[in-house]
Amino acid sequence: MNWTNALPVVAVFSSLLPGLLIFALREQQQGLRTGLNLLGVTVKLIVVGVMLWGVSQGLDFRVEAPFLPGGALILHGDALSLQFVSLSAVLWMATTIYAIGYLRGTPLQSRFFGYFSICVSATVGVALAGNLITFLLFYELLTLATYPLVVHRGTREALDAGRSYLAYTVAGGTLLLMGIAVLHALSGSPQFVPGGYLASVPARHGPALTVAFALLITGLGVKAALIPLHGWLPKAMVAPTPVSALLHAVAVVKAGAFGIVRVIYDVYGAETLEQLDLTAPLIAVAAFTVIFASLRALQQRHLKRRLAYSTVSQLSYIVLGAALLGPIAAVGGLVHLIHQGIMKITLFFCAGAFEKTLGVHRISEMDGIGRRMPLTMSAFTVGALGMTGIPPTAGFISKWFLAAGGLEVGQPWVVWLFVVSGLLNAAYFLPLVYRGWFSIPTAEWPEDHQPESGWETRRMLLLPTLFTALLTLLMGLLAGSALGPLGWSQLIVAREFPL
Amino acid sequence: MNYALASLAIPFTVALLTLLLQRRSEANPIVPAITVLATAVSLVFAGLALETQAVSGAVSHLNVGGWDSPLAIRLRLTPLKALLLGFVALIHLLTGLYAWRAKPKIARDYWPLSALLHTSLAALILSADIFNLYVTLELLSLSAVALVCLSGPKAYTPALYYLLLSLGASLCYLMGVAVIYGQYGVLDMTVLAGIMEADHSTRFALLLMTAGLMLKGALWPLHLWLPEAHTYAPTPVSALLSGLVVKGPLFILWQLWNNLAPEALAREMGPLFAAGGVVALVSGGWSAFRAPFIKTLVAYSTVAQLGYALMGLGLLLFLQERIYAVALWLFVLAHGLAKVSMFLAAGEMQTLLGSKRVTAMRGATQTIPITMSAFAIAGISLIGMPPTGGFLAKWSLLEPLFTQANHWPWASGVLLGTFVSAAYVFRAIALGFYQAPMSREPRHFDRVSQWLALLPALLVGLMAFAGQDLIAWMAGVTQT
Repeated sequence: MNWTNALPVVAVFSSLLPGLLIFALREQQQGLRTGLNLLGVTVKLIVVGVMLWGVSQGLDFRVEAPFLPGGALILHGDALSLQFVSLSAVLWMATTIYAIGYLRGTPLQSRFFGYFSICVSATVGVALAGNLITFLLFYELLTLATYPLVVHRGTREALDAGRSYLAYTVAGGTLLLMGIAVLHALSGSPQFVPGGYLASVPARHGPALTVAFALLITGLGVKAALIPLHGWLPKAMVAPTPVSALLHAVAVVKAGAFGIVRVIYDVYGAETLEQLDLTAPLIAVAAFTVIFASLRALQQRHLKRRLAYSTVSQLSYIVLGAALLGPIAAVGGLVHLIHQGIMKITLFFCAGAFEKTLGVHRISEMDGIGRRMPLTMSAFTVGALGMTGIPPTAGFISKWFLAAGGLEVGQPWVVWLFVVSGLLNAAYFLPLVYRGWFSIPTAEWPEDHQPESGWETRRMLLLPTLFTALLTLLMGLLAGSALGPLGWSQLIVAREFPL
Repeated sequence: MNYALASLAIPFTVALLTLLLQRRSEANPIVPAITVLATAVSLVFAGLALETQAVSGAVSHLNVGGWDSPLAIRLRLTPLKALLLGFVALIHLLTGLYAWRAKPKIARDYWPLSALLHTSLAALILSADIFNLYVTLELLSLSAVALVCLSGPKAYTPALYYLLLSLGASLCYLMGVAVIYGQYGVLDMTVLAGIMEADHSTRFALLLMTAGLMLKGALWPLHLWLPEAHTYAPTPVSALLSGLVVKGPLFILWQLWNNLAPEALAREMGPLFAAGGVVALVSGGWSAFRAPFIKTLVAYSTVAQLGYALMGLGLLLFLQERIYAVALWLFVLAHGLAKVSMFLAAGEMQTLLGSKRVTAMRGATQTIPITMSAFAIAGISLIGMPPTGGFLAKWSLLEPLFTQANHWPWASGVLLGTFVSAAYVFRAIALGFYQAPMSREPRHFDRVSQWLALLPALLVGLMAFAGQDLIAWMAGVTQT
């Protein structure tokens, strides 16, 4: 085994091992716990950095072990997987620091950080999975590792949310298993290839392929929160905010969206999908989700729930970008995988900071919060403008490419979809910005915890927030540079659509 | 063959020896040590038998006392039998170790009886004629009933039901044997396999024997005795009953239909078995979901999981593809390990939490994390999520179904089974995540017994990582 084989394994284990070790720690060993976490974060960032460099140079990071007949365990760092891996590694770092600050003084931290690390390992495994079997393994691990985080508070409400989460995701996982088994029976589970490996399956198996596609997309659609499979997501808001942040930006929902991208491009391939005419229903569902979830977001009175519905809506951008089967739309979808993650995590970090510092949960309580917490509110504003798609934020780049992609494949209605969606986004985000900056606080804050440091909130809550807000701006401003997510998405698409 | 004989003879000797040792003093501390050690040795011998047998792929016979066919007690060893011998010894070893550590101390009669149970299972596995199988079945049931009684008067009623039903079942089986003997004049299975015809009396005999075996093996719909008996038995006994005892009759059933029965009859029977399996999965799972006590939940889950095995058997007979035999025996192995873990964990919970109720598991992730992990990992294997042994077995059952379009409907049985298992497993696990009540005095854990409960769960939890080799190897083992 040389170093190129070892790196994907290290990428997974750099969070798995600390996670398992953390379980064994006593509650008071906070220093050691933080140390293990940060060690894992550092190792993972370095490994991901090396892999990014390697893949851009044309190196291949791949390791294989026997697993099932016809379906080995493959970890493969290609351009697409690294897109997702880098997102998880960077946001894991931010969220770990945030979570340490957020959970200070609460019980059961060892259990929390243990599962938190395993959750990230599962996400990285999902990203690096080189075939469907490996994908399934980590996808199910993710389901299991996230559950304890969702129910972390241990209240009846949390457990109810957990039940709903499990009901949706375990059912989804089972359907995914069925779909994978159908494909496995047809062609084994070979490695993902750009352009799909199912093109060689004889045409008489068309119905089986159609059923398998429906099973796979339904199974993945649960985590990607396609309507009507999204019911668990707003309920899961009861989890501690760092969990919601990670769930919404990186781990669970992205695993679903990423899986859909994989299935579309590397399992079926654009050609097969066009022959079987399978994408039209998916496009319809995604488009409906974009609009309907935004309407639902408008009705929410709780900040976190509004953010949750906004996630449902934004995730379907990614799905839509992939399902349109055109290179430009694909760039838009892929880059939104990153952009949505960074922007949404900023918004959740802010929501958590409001909650921890001032006890603010409801939108009506946000009046004038910008005067009290100007830095956090600035970060919130950047995230909100990004979500709305106003230049120069990252969100604008995504929408631009998605709309252009719709035109490219001869579906001009997509442009109108994004116009309407943008208006709706503005309708549910801009009032928050207005309230925060320009309304006058009406009453006392629900709970006031002024930190002793003199900062507006705990330092460990503020710094990650500012960091991701800054990233949101930079990704928009420097979108043209080859190093950013946009450049990388174009690299992926160049490899996926050999023209 | 000699190794296999040793694996059979050792527990037998121990059963007699411990009985003698018990006479002298009230509770001889040496007895558990001897039994556990002997089980380990028996496991080693079974391993050796498996190695020689699986390598040569050979089938060996032994005529006890040198008598030939009609009079002899014939033993037969195949790779699958060697594997099962090892499995039986392994499960006995795991439960034996736990019983040794158990607080409060287990009744001293546990040791000779469990050794006897081990002996009768080994004999059942090795027997080559259908009458000897009857004898070993009786031995098995009697020692199992006696073991259930060990937990005192509250277990007497379930034990009595178990005894009566078991006797009835044996009678059914014996009548079937008599009919076959009357018709063919032979009892040896290898000889019978060549000459059985699909006529009415054979059909009748096979059905009688099947009914008896299904009753003993608690296969749906003849499972009604199982939950009570498993709930009230002492913890290590419940583990043995669920992990092993019900698999004995299943093994005979498999030989009966897979080796003896004419293919035409087997094909007819297949869909019935498979359908019964699906119903078992759903109804057993539903009962487990509703169960008020932890052990009842685990016991009903055995009923449900046996449905998978029955489905595997049915599909094997019906579709005549070897992979279903692999699935069937993988289910048996995975379920055995998972169930041992679950019952031991359930027993620990009863002692540590001071209640039998499922609702007592509230907050268990915080108060007894290791035990809870054992329960959870074993449960995840029962659901069949990767990378557990349960997943491997489910995959072997599911994947070949999709190769032909007209077999697809059976996959929905697996789908249903997964949903129901997930429901009852996660119902229990979820309770563990409630905030634990704070004001409890610190509990005195026995870390060793907690880890003993966790060990089989870890084994089964990572089983699928050896999946490719295991499936290929099992395909070879189940050939004969």
